Amino acid sequence: MSTTTIDGMSYLDNTGDDPRERARLIVGDNDFASITNTVCGVVERPKPPKIWWVIFAISSSLTLVLLAMIAYLVTNGIGVWGLQIPVGWGYAIVNFVFWVGIGHAGTLISAILFLLRQRWRTSINRFAEGMTIFAVICAGVFPGIHVGRIWFAYWLAPIPNQMSMWPNFRSPLLWDVFAVGTYATVSLLFWYMGMIPDLATLRDRAKTKVRWFFYGVLSLGWRSSNRHWHRFEMAYLLLAALATPLVLSVHSVVSFDFAVSIMPGWHTTIFPPYFVAGAIFSGFAMVVTLVIPTRKIFGLEEIITLRHLENMAKIMLATAMMVGLAYSTEFFMAWYSGNQYEAFTFMNRAFGPYAWAYWTMVTCNVLVPQLFWFKKLRTNIVALWIASVLINVGMWFERFVIVVSSLSRDYLPTSWGYYRPSIVDILTFLGSFGLFFTLFLLFVRFLPIVGMAEVKGVMPQAHLDRPGHRGHGDYHGDIAGTEVVS
Amino acid sequence: MNRESGPRYWRSLDELARTPEFQEAVQREFPDDEWDRLPPATRRQFLKVMGASMAFAGLTACRWPAEKIVPFAHRPDGRTPGVPERFATSMELGGAALGMVVTSYDGRPIKAEGNSLHPDSLGALTAIAQADILQLYDPERSRRLLYRESGQEFVKSWEDFTIFVGERCAHDGEGISVLAEASSSPAVSRLRDRFLAARPQARWYEYEPISRDNEREGTRLAFGKALRVHPHLEGARVVACLDADPLFDHPATLRLARETAGARSPESETRSRLYVGESTYSLTGARADHRLAVASGRVPSLLAQVAHLLAAAHSIELPDAAAGFAGIAGSPGDEREARFVEMLAADLAAHHGSGVILVGPRQAPAVHALAAVLNQALGNAGTTVTYTADPEPERPSHMAAITELAARIRADEVQNLVILGGNPVYNAPADLRFGELLEKVRYSFHLSLYEDETSKLSTWHLPAAHGLEAWGDGRAWDGTYTLRQPLIEPLYGGRTAIEVLALVLGEAPFSGHEIVRAVMRESAPAVDFEEFWRRALRDGVVQGSAWDAVEPIPDPSGLTVALDGMRILLEAGSPPNAQRPELVLVVDARVHDGRFANNGWLQELPDAITKITWDNALLVSPSTAREMGIADGEIVEVEANGASVELPACVVPGQARFSLTVALGYGRTAAGQVGNGVGADLYRMRTTGAPHQLSQPKVRPTGRRYRLAVTQDHFAIDTIGFNARNLRVADLVREATLDAYLADPEIIHHHDHHPPLISLWKDQVFEGEQWGMSIDLSSCIGCNACIVACQAENNIPVVGREQVLNQREMHWIRLDRYFKTDPSLAPDEVEDAEVVFQPMTCVQCENAPCEQVCPVAATQHTTDGLNAMVYNRCIGTRYCSNNCPFKVRRFNFFNYHKDLKDTTQMQFNPEVTVRSRGVMEKCTFCVQRIQAVRIAASNDNRPIADGEITPACAQTCPSQAIRFGNLNDPSSEVSRLREDPRSYATLAELNIRPRLHYLARLKNPAEGAPTSFGEGDAHGKESV
Amino acid sequence: MQSSESAREEAALYGYLIEFDKVDELLAAAAKVRDAGFTRWDAHTPFVIHGLDAAMGVKKTVLPYIVFLAGLTGAAAGILLQWFTNAFDYPFLISGKPLFSLPANIPVAFETTILFAAISALVGMFALNGLPQLFHPLFRNRSFKRATDDRFFISIEAADPLFDATTTRRLLESISDQPVEKIEEGE
Repeated sequence: MSTTTIDGMSYLDNTGDDPRERARLIVGDNDFASITNTVCGVVERPKPPKIWWVIFAISSSLTLVLLAMIAYLVTNGIGVWGLQIPVGWGYAIVNFVFWVGIGHAGTLISAILFLLRQRWRTSINRFAEGMTIFAVICAGVFPGIHVGRIWFAYWLAPIPNQMSMWPNFRSPLLWDVFAVGTYATVSLLFWYMGMIPDLATLRDRAKTKVRWFFYGVLSLGWRSSNRHWHRFEMAYLLLAALATPLVLSVHSVVSFDFAVSIMPGWHTTIFPPYFVAGAIFSGFAMVVTLVIPTRKIFGLEEIITLRHLENMAKIMLATAMMVGLAYSTEFFMAWYSGNQYEAFTFMNRAFGPYAWAYWTMVTCNVLVPQLFWFKKLRTNIVALWIASVLINVGMWFERFVIVVSSLSRDYLPTSWGYYRPSIVDILTFLGSFGLFFTLFLLFVRFLPIVGMAEVKGVMPQAHLDRPGHRGHGDYHGDIAGTEVVS
Repeated sequence: MNRESGPRYWRSLDELARTPEFQEAVQREFPDDEWDRLPPATRRQFLKVMGASMAFAGLTACRWPAEKIVPFAHRPDGRTPGVPERFATSMELGGAALGMVVTSYDGRPIKAEGNSLHPDSLGALTAIAQADILQLYDPERSRRLLYRESGQEFVKSWEDFTIFVGERCAHDGEGISVLAEASSSPAVSRLRDRFLAARPQARWYEYEPISRDNEREGTRLAFGKALRVHPHLEGARVVACLDADPLFDHPATLRLARETAGARSPESETRSRLYVGESTYSLTGARADHRLAVASGRVPSLLAQVAHLLAAAHSIELPDAAAGFAGIAGSPGDEREARFVEMLAADLAAHHGSGVILVGPRQAPAVHALAAVLNQALGNAGTTVTYTADPEPERPSHMAAITELAARIRADEVQNLVILGGNPVYNAPADLRFGELLEKVRYSFHLSLYEDETSKLSTWHLPAAHGLEAWGDGRAWDGTYTLRQPLIEPLYGGRTAIEVLALVLGEAPFSGHEIVRAVMRESAPAVDFEEFWRRALRDGVVQGSAWDAVEPIPDPSGLTVALDGMRILLEAGSPPNAQRPELVLVVDARVHDGRFANNGWLQELPDAITKITWDNALLVSPSTAREMGIADGEIVEVEANGASVELPACVVPGQARFSLTVALGYGRTAAGQVGNGVGADLYRMRTTGAPHQLSQPKVRPTGRRYRLAVTQDHFAIDTIGFNARNLRVADLVREATLDAYLADPEIIHHHDHHPPLISLWKDQVFEGEQWGMSIDLSSCIGCNACIVACQAENNIPVVGREQVLNQREMHWIRLDRYFKTDPSLAPDEVEDAEVVFQPMTCVQCENAPCEQVCPVAATQHTTDGLNAMVYNRCIGTRYCSNNCPFKVRRFNFFNYHKDLKDTTQMQFNPEVTVRSRGVMEKCTFCVQRIQAVRIAASNDNRPIADGEITPACAQTCPSQAIRFGNLNDPSSEVSRLREDPRSYATLAELNIRPRLHYLARLKNPAEGAPTSFGEGDAHGKESV
Repeated sequence: MQSSESAREEAALYGYLIEFDKVDELLAAAAKVRDAGFTRWDAHTPFVIHGLDAAMGVKKTVLPYIVFLAGLTGAAAGILLQWFTNAFDYPFLISGKPLFSLPANIPVAFETTILFAAISALVGMFALNGLPQLFHPLFRNRSFKRATDDRFFISIEAADPLFDATTTRRLLESISDQPVEKIEEGE
């Protein structure tokens, strides 16, 4: 184990930027076994902490609310929502885009940071991927139920039918079906594959027959053979390489739903990058929101360290600036295009009936992240957490502003309107959070929330024990493993 | 019912109450019997009517073997079920019969259209006349005879009634009075004469809350005898409407609309110019070239000033007797008023013989007299306005009649009162307290469609037959003899006024059919009555039976009376102010006098100007609202003539200062589930003295808010929206003055600033028939007829106030109303504004934005260029609606047909899918009509002729503003209009290539008049 | 014949297993075994150790080519699907646009490409690794459990042509002072 200051507090602090001393990714007096113990401990402890039960009780009952609302919707019709003409899309679509956006952080961390050799990702990627899956599940709920005749929603898929009719592939909604579907599938594969070695660990530590069987089956008989590892790493690399363009494409396609239309405020070419930046932004915000309490509750501070949090804060700052740029670009284009409808739409956003939503969005998404310029705040866990929650709020409002304010006042003043959500809208939205947290809590309880194999791979002990190599944990151990031993 | 108590009171009906028929009747027609279920008998019966309509094919109906009704279009030799038939019939409203042609499917009348042979219809129909068919099927219509005695109800049969009324009225008529609705029916007047002859002591009264009696009395003053006034606008170069609304409230309004459209078109030489002085926006006012918002009480003075100027400045000779009018210049108002009067007087003088002055029915007879005199003096009589003798010259005015009746009841001179239709308890002048009087009458017999307010207080209620269920006759406004034939057996066993009258009279014939034939036989030429009758039935009218015009001679004595009348009016006519505002009670465009309150189509029809549905409101001008402390949408308490009413205020520009307007006909308490409690009842403060203008109402804002269900943004919105709207109007609704247009026909295209419209792909070539539509904004008067036509044709649901508040109304075609104001004004500075209408429906874009976004291809383009909506494929993503720049698509947020009663469903058009929940719907250019014609054409393989296909909206448009046809046929009307320099497409810059083009609106203001707001505002696009 | 009976007595033997607790020991050992020319042997580590592939002389896998082909198939399938459904089998006129145009079909084609490739990557990896294989003789060895925790192993299969019960054992003992364990073949 490399140099460690033993004074109680600061040994957890690995956020130093001193170029001579490469910061440690894993702090504390850890070896492979201790990592295994800490991570598996979360799953193997006989009872989850009280707080787990409390949150689980709340979120699972919210899930029931969601189901109730859906049942009510299906029996009565879309009219139970606040929708109308001109605002034909409201909460449902806003929530869809919101959740899909959150679903971006996971794959981003596991794929893009992986390709960029950002080894610090190892501590949080499993966690983030899990969150991705659950967010995408929540997102998937909405397009399904927002159609008028839910029982015919399957017509969206190109399956032969008695009408011998096919879906219309020119419609962005159909692109959505494919994009989100692919994204959900690939994220799931990616997540599961990365989990196999850790599942094997759990299998080998299993005390009870049930666990042994359960994890045994899930780990598919993984015997950590290096010949397997070789192909495993290759597959992982390929998946990462595939997931990277995919993650960028998904929110681009989602943004096409709006960009391809002719509605002022929707018909904008900057939407794809704008949406992707926003997605990453909100995704990281959600990771931070979740990870801060989790690491505290399950004592993972040594593995998910302050440095991880700080890095995420930096990414949020960067993406916040991109989003802010997008906001201002929209206004510039509206003015520069000389299109009166476009111009009006944006003036209307900022000063019309929905101004309150617009300024909430700007405050949360552009102003709040500016705090992260200061290291003190980046490394202040409480400030970080509050900020991340505010960013989630802001990103939801961003989608609300785009969807609702643009629709509410389009070309003909005679068809202008004002959209008010119904109570069903609101409860459905809250319910989706219930579903999200329920799934997340189950994940925390039953699956390894940190990729042990990967974390071990970035520990100093994982490398040739030679002078000069000490403490350069995150320097060596490239995946491709081409270094030949003499 | 309490059987025991029966005998004690009932001697004559004693045995009857025990007869099995009676028991059975009680069982069958028990009050809490399932309302919507038809009595099984009725179903059989209207199958019989199908039989009746087959009579010509030699089949014989089981009942009425002799009665034959004749399809309009062709003699049906062997009619095939499922093939619609069309019958000419008519509807009577306010003493004039309006001819119509009703389409009937297997004995179910489903849609009413105008009868082109009828002088007041010319093929068009008003919104109300079209919606009347829904009344026919209203499940809440009365379906039983009721007898009330000491608080108990007894269900009776027509036989009971016959016996009973026989006993009551078998003497010389002492104590018998009849209160009838205004009627033009020769049959009614014949029976009335017979009745009065047989019962010399009986009295006959006629009451109608809304009538043109003032005009009638005006002619009596001017010419010594009651005459009927007939304006003719096709040649009128200057039309002055003082509180008059010929485009809405005139019995011949459809003809006048047609004539106005013709006279205003740039092709016509007339170049009509329209001056309107009125207190609240009327349809005519919206069309005006010069409109003056002036208090209703100022209108006499306005006319007096005109008269004065004509005599003084333009040396127009008034007849000696009327010379006095020249003297009495009304007290001069503000300079707006003065200017208006000058221009009007000058124009009238300049167009001797081709101008016309029309005064509205709300103005006192004296004012009408003066107008008549001026029309004489200007040589307009005989050209732009003609007179015929009044059919009932001796009849007292309705107000006088009802007042006298009231007096006689109060004096206990009426023991038996037969009320044939009407609803006096609800709509008689409040000061008569008719409700209380009715209870003083020993026996009152009330015949009406519904168990309404009056029925509830009458001893006998008799269910009336609907106009489409019964035989009848009537006369058009110009006197043309008009027939009415039933299209269906009475659904609820109702009878008509003439049938009841025959019963009361107690002399055969009793069947309406016989009565009408008998009456007709008298007026018919001797030769072959059957042939004559058959043709009359087929045409619905007897051609050439209009009255002859008479040459009116001024009557000095009357004119002096009129003169004094004017003087009094002028003294009273000082402008109203915040302390003494004026309250004007107007007839409503939807529920009329209240009789259509239970009609969902009409209740949900947006008011032309305010766009309010399901309510009436107190209309106030912005400045008035400010100065009286009334907020828009605030509930105000109005108190006048001892009655106080609470209703919401609606702030509208174009309203005269301190002149408040409310529509009558709302606040019904016994209209039915649809109409009860909708709006506020203003009859409660309407008195015999002041039926139209209440001089000093107390108006108190309550501070409570109320959301009016408007289908369009209110004009006063946030500043950003307000400015944007002002910028866009000039682009969306193109407008030019006639002179400017004639000077440069391309003027309306100076708006086009968009780059050339090029697609990324090779453009589609459309071959064969390509349907297109053209709407002339110059002709459109905003009468809403097209909306009801569309609703009836396409089975469009009524969604109710709640859903309208949620902006979920379903009308496929709507009338966009824009207020054109001076763009420099802030929302709260606007006081007056011009109104322009733009009928907006699916424009069937060739590059339809809605199509590409539908994931399941539920909306596609047909080969003949329609933007088709495939209902059974739609899954309801609502994406198409979001991407529709016109927002003309409508979504079924709920299953709006779920709760429809069987009867109401009988109105459905079998050619059109009834859309279910979760499905998008929209205008299809009436594709079912296109297909019907196409099939017919291909059967006798010929090309489709131009004008052969008319969508419902185009068919009923009184001013023929909507034209439809094949764009690929260069000779078609619509292609010709597409070439018209006025033709433009809204939002063409989006390169969506609409198939619906508009013809720019032309105005014809006098020289030197201020040009309208937003005029030629070509650079709206550039500014932000 | 002698070899044949030796084969008979060792029929039940799966191979030898030897344990290490340091990465560099493992690497060194792996290199030795590699140089001894064994082919049917393996190293077992709780995580990826860079350099181990080289030390073992593992050949690069063919997985990338499988994935590439699958990707191409996906792209073709995506385009074909859209052409067949919208332009061939049930053509309909939409917004006056051509029945088939590439730009509108890119997004879906892209997604199918990724989908096919991703699935093939996972399935291909499993197939090449012979997974799932829920049972394996090595699992009988108690200490082997730590292969997923913090220990490193080398196993040499009896099925290896160079395998000889005694010489192989000696070789392994020379590499490390850890005890060499026999792994029984499952019956």
